[in-house]
Amino acid sequence: MRTAQIGATTALTLHSLCAAGLAAGHWLAQSFYSSSLITDPTRTLRFLTVCEAPIVIVLFSWLRRDHDRCTFIKSVGRGLMGLPIGALFSAFGAIVLGAPVGLKYWPATIYWSMLMSLFTFVPAACVFGASKLGWQHILSYSNSFYRLSNVVDYMISVPAHGAILGAWLGAWPMPLDWERPWQEWPICVTYGAIAGHLIGMLLSPVLIYLHQRHIRTKVE
Amino acid sequence: MRGKKRLTDRWAPTPKVMGVPWLVVLLGLHCAGIYLFTRGFLLTRTELSASSLPSDLHLSPCSSSSSDDPDPAPHHLHPSRPGWTRPTVDRILILIVDALRFDFVAPSTFFQEKKPWMDRLSLLQHLASTQPNSSRIFKAIADPPTTSLQRLKALTTGGLPTFIDVGNSFGAPAIKEDNWLHQLVKNGRRVVMMGDDTWTQLFPEHFNESYPYPSFNVKDLDTVDNGVVQHLEPWLHREDWDVLIGHFLGVDHAGHIYGVDSLPMIQKLEQINAIIQNVTDVMKSQKHLENTMLIVMGDHAQTLNGDHGGGTSEEVETCLFAWMPRSLPSSISSIFDQSTCSLDLNGGNICTSTMQQLDFAVSISALLGIPFPFGSIGRVNPELYALSPGSWDPQWHLTAFCEDSRSDLETWKHNYAHVLCINSWQVKRYIDSYSATSVMGFPTDDLRHITDLYNKAQSSWSGSKNSPCMPENGTINGFSNFLLSFAALARSAWTEFDLKLMGVGLGIIIISIICHILVFVRVHSQSNVYGNKTEKSSDHLQISVAFFLVAVRAVSFLSNSYILAEGRVANFLLASTAIASTRSSLVYGKFKKHDLVFLILIIFIRFGIEMGMTKQAVTNPFLKYDSGSDFDSKWLPSLFQGHDFATLFSEVSPMIFLFLLAFVSYKIITCIVDASGIKWIVTIGAMLSYALIVTFWLSERSFAPRMVYGIGFGLLVLNFVIRSTGILERGDALQRLRNLALVMVAAWIPTILILLGKQGPFAVLVCVFAGWSIISSKNKGLLDDCKMDPISVMQWSLLAICLFYQTGHWCTFDGLRYGAAFIGFDEFKIVRQAILLFIDTFGISHILPIFSLPFLVVLPASSSSKKRDKTVIFLNLTQVYLLYGLITAITTTLTILCVAIQRRHLMVWGLFAPKYVFDAIGLLLTDVLICISALFYC
Repeated sequence: MRTAQIGATTALTLHSLCAAGLAAGHWLAQSFYSSSLITDPTRTLRFLTVCEAPIVIVLFSWLRRDHDRCTFIKSVGRGLMGLPIGALFSAFGAIVLGAPVGLKYWPATIYWSMLMSLFTFVPAACVFGASKLGWQHILSYSNSFYRLSNVVDYMISVPAHGAILGAWLGAWPMPLDWERPWQEWPICVTYGAIAGHLIGMLLSPVLIYLHQRHIRTKVE
Repeated sequence: MRGKKRLTDRWAPTPKVMGVPWLVVLLGLHCAGIYLFTRGFLLTRTELSASSLPSDLHLSPCSSSSSDDPDPAPHHLHPSRPGWTRPTVDRILILIVDALRFDFVAPSTFFQEKKPWMDRLSLLQHLASTQPNSSRIFKAIADPPTTSLQRLKALTTGGLPTFIDVGNSFGAPAIKEDNWLHQLVKNGRRVVMMGDDTWTQLFPEHFNESYPYPSFNVKDLDTVDNGVVQHLEPWLHREDWDVLIGHFLGVDHAGHIYGVDSLPMIQKLEQINAIIQNVTDVMKSQKHLENTMLIVMGDHAQTLNGDHGGGTSEEVETCLFAWMPRSLPSSISSIFDQSTCSLDLNGGNICTSTMQQLDFAVSISALLGIPFPFGSIGRVNPELYALSPGSWDPQWHLTAFCEDSRSDLETWKHNYAHVLCINSWQVKRYIDSYSATSVMGFPTDDLRHITDLYNKAQSSWSGSKNSPCMPENGTINGFSNFLLSFAALARSAWTEFDLKLMGVGLGIIIISIICHILVFVRVHSQSNVYGNKTEKSSDHLQISVAFFLVAVRAVSFLSNSYILAEGRVANFLLASTAIASTRSSLVYGKFKKHDLVFLILIIFIRFGIEMGMTKQAVTNPFLKYDSGSDFDSKWLPSLFQGHDFATLFSEVSPMIFLFLLAFVSYKIITCIVDASGIKWIVTIGAMLSYALIVTFWLSERSFAPRMVYGIGFGLLVLNFVIRSTGILERGDALQRLRNLALVMVAAWIPTILILLGKQGPFAVLVCVFAGWSIISSKNKGLLDDCKMDPISVMQWSLLAICLFYQTGHWCTFDGLRYGAAFIGFDEFKIVRQAILLFIDTFGISHILPIFSLPFLVVLPASSSSKKRDKTVIFLNLTQVYLLYGLITAITTTLTILCVAIQRRHLMVWGLFAPKYVFDAIGLLLTDVLICISALFYC
């Protein structure tokens, strides 16, 4: 199986493709509309989402779990369906945690939750579809270090958790009275999420490497 | 060893839990620590008992010329009266309008937008624009704390009253420091007072005549004002007074009850306008009032909600309007600051100035020619002083040859320089005497700088005195510079923290925390004897997560922004735990409905907190008619703005929630209580209370709340009877505990409900359901379901904080919902109203959560089939209480630490100190309640 052969380097390559997608989105927004996340969060988030979505969906559909029963196209379809569902969950979580709900925040919130969905929900949807066990696997990751059996689990779980933790930490400066533009919702939360996601993507190849060495020593 | 022993006597009839004496010890330690810290932190300014004497003046360098050249032309006004300066007006009529905002008086053209409450005092604007040479509008900047008592104290003593006095606000002690009323009385002037009875409490023996009216009944808009009106005019026609003070409270009360943007407020302002119109008419017509200054002023301002107490610009920017019936030399305009002028509504030019309220006392003293109050640190305000005709008369020690060549302005400047000289000398004398008597004076460097400024000004004065025709600008600037620098120094460095006491207090509290942790660990290990040891690692993880959350919350208090947003921070953390617990149920593959319910409840709580915060900031137009209906009438109707449906909905929705709550309570009572007699009593009591609450809402009859309080009290008594007679001893420990806890909670809920007003049912429903969610999500997937779960306790405590903010409270004194104190009672009695206010403030955030903590242990245990023995349950209960107390203690300790660190922060009195007081009271209350619960339940 192809998925079994994935090593730490491949994972790193795939992750860098995702990171490149983010960079491309940011660059496009900046060069064509000269808007950054601070000056025009909605447009920049839209660019980030639009650039990141195809990359994530294609990459993780390629990594899909059940190669025999599920075609590439079907997996892409799962990813496309997962995008709004995951966005709904993200938006719900954000509102529970205290994100502003005023009408003027809606567009930004929608794009932000799409982006969060791309970081967390969509990869898992592409890979596992509706497989309950697979979802439980990536969630229970934090309970014990070596329980994850598959390389792809790391690739989904670590960056996703990184993005959520990053977004959570990114919300902390929001109540401060520094009156900086980046304290607005969802700018600092997006920064936090992207930073956490990137750290997660750096961490996941390392963990995959450690994991594979651990298995190898066990086998020997 | 102890654990072993306990195993043997587990079937003892009354198992003693080792925690109880420890809880009392902790309470004692907290009391001692908080007492010492408070002594160090809130004890601030040494009040000097000395007062100024008329004869002191010869000590000053300013009067040397007058002493060797006795007054050649005694002043025509009060020749016999001793004083430091010559009186420049005959009489002063002070009309104080409590909580007078600057924008009530200044024309709306000064502001970006015209609001309904602006331009209502049109007479003052008219006078200011048509008689610019004899009237003036000042923006008077008050110093925090902006509570009436502190402001009155500051207005009369000219000092900077400090925060600790806020605590005396209910007791209103007489002012001991020197003040101008004292000086007036000592120098034979007659003072008449009418209005707010705080004056007679502050000055019990100073008034020749006084007509005090009760000030505490906030709902009463008219009694005080009508009382003033009734006595004001007769007194204006009489001549046997020198200073008349009229203090109107209607505007303040209208603000407290209805907010600034309301019809009662506008009516009140128009009434005040009519009163002043009347007064000015009389003053113009009466000969004896020709040389009388009319001052209309606020003691402090208010926010759009009618709150005050803090240091925001909305609260400190009040107004002072001064007017003389006599016109003054036109050169007065060069004294006035012309920088803030604007056209008024009628096209006339209108100018305003800015003054410090600190300067009021000394300015009044200078106008009346009495010795300046000993502790006054203000400066005689040039513009206010210039408004008095006497200040333009040539002074007595002016040498004749220069007199003719002097213009009005130069004469005035000379007079003013003379007054400032005395003013500066008096302040300097105060500084010296303060530095000598006070343990911690001002920093030496600053003091030296101030002394330099003083010496420079004095030498400039002596120089100009020798050649009297010299312009006085340099001298005036020198003195002003000295006085302003000292006022700045006093403001920044006044609060005299006793760092030693603060340190000892903090140390004791930290020791108490260590003891707390030790006791907790001991009880914890004791309970582990019974528990399953294999789960130790997850146990540690949970405890560390709980303490991580406590730490996050506690560290957040270092920043004023997080203190302001405390409700949102608590909600954020609560939501984080809820999301984490949802995640962990997903890990085990079973998504439960209570997780979703909890998340949705958190959204409700979150909106409630945000509404509370907006109330803190700006008045919501939907909050006018009832101060109690905070929540529902606030955000629900705003969705359907402008429809009759909205009002109907906000009227009806509390009823619906109440019926829902009644149904839920019925369900809970029948489900939890098993002794049928008690079940019936409690059910009837609860239903009757709910019916009475509805009656109260519909009819506003005061018997209903009283009966609700009575029923609550009756249930409490019943509960103690049950507890002490041992009716329930037959059942097993779990059932007994369940019954006791339920009756306890049932006794408190209706009282808290009625005090919270129309938002109550919703808040209590949220509380009940959130509690249920926390209990049912507890210890998911773990086998031992009776074990204490630190995260649940943490959630419980976060929920309590969220409920505090959700129900429209916040940690400032003006955040107290004074209206709640009068539910069921119209007349004011300090103890009764204080108790009601206390229950309203801490009911849903302290009393209810702490008394219902046993459910966290009992309900999961009784849902499992496993038979529990008494000792385990009580150990767990003790653990829960210890942990809850520990969480509160740690956050409070951090608050105390932050207050100590931020003691020089700009907002220390506005934000950190109230937060400290609330947290300290909260901690002590928590300790007391925990002790009671431990004694009661165990």
